[in-house]
Amino acid sequence: MPSILVVDDEPDLEILVRQKFRRRIRAGELEFLFAQNGAEALEQLQTRRDVDMVLSDINMPVMDGLTLIGQLRDVAPMIKAVVVSAYGDMENIRTAMNRGAFDFVTKPIDFDDLELTVTRTLAHLEMLREAVTSREQLVALRRELDVAARMQAQILPGKPLAGPGFQIGAQMTPAKEVGGDFYDYFQIDENRVGFVIADVSGKGVPAAIFMAVSYTLMRARGMDGLAPAKCLELVNAALCRDNDEAMFVSVFYGVLETSTGKLAYCNAGHNPPILRRANGDVSPLEDKGGPALGVIDDATFDQATVDFQPGDTLLLYTDGVTEAFDETGEPYGESALMDVFKRLGSADPLAVAETIETVVIDHTGDAEQHDDITTLVLRRPLD
Amino acid sequence: MDITIEAAAGAEIVAVRGSLDTNTAPEAGEALIGLINGGAKRIVADFEHVDYISSAGLRVLLVAAKRLRAGGGDMRLCNLNPFVQEVFDISGFGVMFSVFDTRDAALAQS
Repeated sequence: MPSILVVDDEPDLEILVRQKFRRRIRAGELEFLFAQNGAEALEQLQTRRDVDMVLSDINMPVMDGLTLIGQLRDVAPMIKAVVVSAYGDMENIRTAMNRGAFDFVTKPIDFDDLELTVTRTLAHLEMLREAVTSREQLVALRRELDVAARMQAQILPGKPLAGPGFQIGAQMTPAKEVGGDFYDYFQIDENRVGFVIADVSGKGVPAAIFMAVSYTLMRARGMDGLAPAKCLELVNAALCRDNDEAMFVSVFYGVLETSTGKLAYCNAGHNPPILRRANGDVSPLEDKGGPALGVIDDATFDQATVDFQPGDTLLLYTDGVTEAFDETGEPYGESALMDVFKRLGSADPLAVAETIETVVIDHTGDAEQHDDITTLVLRRPLD
Repeated sequence: MDITIEAAAGAEIVAVRGSLDTNTAPEAGEALIGLINGGAKRIVADFEHVDYISSAGLRVLLVAAKRLRAGGGDMRLCNLNPFVQEVFDISGFGVMFSVFDTRDAALAQS
């Protein structure tokens, strides 16, 4: 029940208020408290934290109404104050408003007007409280999404990986909203290294969960040492179970035999990676694989093999790279990406990935980044 | 984006205009599911005026296609522009739909 504290040194007002609002008081819709001056009001507010509104006279002994209103802000910032002033006393009304009063009524009090003012003030207060609650919920939700985004970034490999016959580096610039790109690389045994790039459909919490599941399945099946097509077939079957929302993930999975340079891969609905030969020739990898994972439970997958020679570099990327739009809506595009990749030559993989990310983000300029921008670079060193 | 729905012989034609992306896909999804819940067996989605489709857009089409298939119906697409066609090609989800060059061709086949 809303509580209103009436502050006035004339005892008549208490009687009038009790009389005029008697129906609403009896119905339990309103509660009135009374104080003789500002000091007494503050004292009552110490014990009555639930007071919603203060209706205060201006001229009173001990502490006047204007001083009271000035102090209310510190004592109880959510309380709305309404002042009772002499008719036409604009100076005091203005002072009261400047100190944070919500409204005013004039003497002699017109009780219809007062009732209207009370109703309006309480309604305003209600709205304010709802807004505060929504804001708090929003802040809490944002915080959780930030945690989700951080966790997502943390499960990805943080450092480049290198060994005899291979070097891998990757870079990811997440969009504002928690999304679904991921990459991974791992040593299967002393002669084989697996590498993955993937893009989960959609954004937000559902995409983040689907991403975590896909990532874990890929890592587990990949470490089993399965051939790429077989690996994606099994992960697809697992992801298709109970997936009524048709969430899906495009995945490119490759396994490099580090001693020979034999690179086997399977592309499940992902953009074909770009191969840069030691002589500087660049071209997309032949598209061999199957549909993106998670939707077609009996899908079949093919794999291809490419001879990955010393000095060759492979660039894997997500569509956040080629579909990064600038302010005019122009996408970064595949041919620009191929040009940059060709020019970067055979630099260190992490440096290549970082440079491409920088170039793409420069392209977007002030336009908002809509999608995660992810690149993974695999290289076979010359010696 | 806006959607117009018209009934043809044995099919509902859903013509989408604009971009099927994260922001607009839920509305398109509701329209499709609404038709399916209303008993539609065959839906022809006309993409003549669709210039862009994101993975979110693809997803609502997949949900509809799965639902229709489960009920013995099918989802047909027509008038895909090269960009939209490429999205279906890369993702490999073309096999989930019957794709036709024109609306008439999509309606003609039983």
